[in-house]
Amino acid sequence: MKLLNLTNRYYIAIALVLLMVSSAFLAYRVLYLVDNEVSENILYEKMEIEKQLSHQKNIQGKHIIFGDRIEVEPLEKFTTFRVRMIDTTFYDINLKMRVPYRQLTYEQLLDGKSYRIKIAQRLTETERLAEGVLATLLLVALDIIACFYFLNRWFSSKIWNPFYRALNILKTFDLQKGGATTFQRSKVDEFNALNAELSKLTDKVSRDYRNLREFTENMSHETQTPLAIIRSKLELLLQGSNLTETQVQQVLSTLDSVNRLSKMNKGLIMLTRIENEQYAGMQMLPMGKMLRKQVDDLEMFISSKNIQVHIDIDENVLVRMNQHLAEILITNLLSNAIKYNRENGDLFVRLSADTLEIANSGIPPVLSNDEIFDRFKKGDSPDSIGLGLAIVRKIIDHWGSRIKYEYKADLHTFTITLPNRVVGKV
Amino acid sequence: MKILIVEDEKQLLDSMMTFLKESGMHCEKATTLAEAIEKIDLYTYDAVVLDIGLPDGSGLKVINEMQTKQNQTGIVIVSAKNSLDDRLVGLNFGADDYITKPFYMPELVARIKSVVRRRSFQGKNEIVFNEVRVIPDEMMMYVKDKLVSLTKKEHELLLYFLSNQNKVLTKESIAEHLWGDHADMADSFDFIYSHIKNLRKKMTDNGANDYLKSIYGVGYKLSSE
Repeated sequence: MKLLNLTNRYYIAIALVLLMVSSAFLAYRVLYLVDNEVSENILYEKMEIEKQLSHQKNIQGKHIIFGDRIEVEPLEKFTTFRVRMIDTTFYDINLKMRVPYRQLTYEQLLDGKSYRIKIAQRLTETERLAEGVLATLLLVALDIIACFYFLNRWFSSKIWNPFYRALNILKTFDLQKGGATTFQRSKVDEFNALNAELSKLTDKVSRDYRNLREFTENMSHETQTPLAIIRSKLELLLQGSNLTETQVQQVLSTLDSVNRLSKMNKGLIMLTRIENEQYAGMQMLPMGKMLRKQVDDLEMFISSKNIQVHIDIDENVLVRMNQHLAEILITNLLSNAIKYNRENGDLFVRLSADTLEIANSGIPPVLSNDEIFDRFKKGDSPDSIGLGLAIVRKIIDHWGSRIKYEYKADLHTFTITLPNRVVGKV
Repeated sequence: MKILIVEDEKQLLDSMMTFLKESGMHCEKATTLAEAIEKIDLYTYDAVVLDIGLPDGSGLKVINEMQTKQNQTGIVIVSAKNSLDDRLVGLNFGADDYITKPFYMPELVARIKSVVRRRSFQGKNEIVFNEVRVIPDEMMMYVKDKLVSLTKKEHELLLYFLSNQNKVLTKESIAEHLWGDHADMADSFDFIYSHIKNLRKKMTDNGANDYLKSIYGVGYKLSSE
């Protein structure tokens, strides 16, 4: 959920509760006051009537109705001192409906005669008042919430704008390409502080990455000469005829380690080269033809394991790619598929307009589907350097393509989605 | 065969000098660009082994210098950089071959000899080893004047041995010579064994002595001793 919506949600929830409580309180207060007023009015009228009746000398047991709802009714005898106030309804002839009233009923003695006096006051107005109050309050509440919502949205998007900009810059930040990140200055100190830190961080990351790449490249290059020296000395030693059997074995195992180091170096140099965009030149390549040629080159290793090769190639597929990288890609995948194949196994090479698929039979994988492409991950094959598939993935990334590995039905399958492909006559 | 080795790493230079001398070559050395150019101007060599990264400049300048003299000297570049660009630049500059560090000494010898052969005789010359004759550009050998055909790999293998007579060739170096980048394929050593077996058979069946000796655990050696 967006920060904006989240804050808005809280604000609106709180506003709703506050508005409900306060409008309920307000309505209650208003109704209470109006109600009080009605009662007071009736009592005041009672006083008035009492005053007037006391001056009236000629009632003499008559039934009198004053105005609309004041009634003086003579009684046989005085029954109670109680003054009752009740809410009731009367039929209104004009409105043709029953209307709520508050009625005060009491008994009074005048010149020795007792009378029941009823004073009624309409309540209709107070009810309407209550409705009016509630309606107004509701309207105000809705207005406030709507304004609140939109204003908050507007303010927030204005205020948070630099934040989202910075976020976008970070999203598009590509370590491979490096380069400085420039964040816009904002009025908000916190954002400026954040941007300054981000700037520092990305700069540092870029610099470190560059240094690391340089280090790997330099290290690999600079190691080649000492390795050449070690190897040359060992070879000279081997040519001598005065070594014992044990010494020869020691020289050989040292040579073997030098070979491993040298291969590792070559792999690392290849990886840094691809990263450094040193294989930029692209051309249209007949993928099918290249695959066939490499399979032929590896024929000896294929037949020694008695591997069945199943080739299903769409000869019309042309890909746009650096030729050297394409060769390395194919070589690495094919030799991988031969090296880890079993005796009498199968090797599938399928090339369609969309994908290149290379699959081989073999024992279930030790490494997970992601790990298999990591540097120096080599499962349980101690002789391997563990860079072949890392180089494959680097080439695929550089090419802007995707590679997927899966093991199912006894087959290790690498599927490459072909970008920049052109299907046409080769 | 007279060789100039241009290399600023003294240790490597020493090894190369020793190995090439043992291979029957006359070697001179230069450790700087200036020294190399001076020697090129003064003397004639069959081949120059040239390190590109010299302390006082790029070894490519030596190639320039040699081309102005229009001599027949073969050039083998030795570089620590195994990059396609470097290789192409070097070969475009007029070098005959390119080898990257770390290399196998017998491989360097084979490259030098091949370059010199190509330069001096356009590959038409023969290599004679007792009763065996090999013509480098054709995939065949003569044993006591009898024509014996060879497979491509057998031919390459035989040439490699002939370039490094009486030298122990490790299985690794043979594998790399024959298969380059594919050398580390699982069973390449078995293939070397079967190639050598076939080659030996073709030689002995046609009346030659068994010159291909196995050095247990190490590799093989072509020797008439």
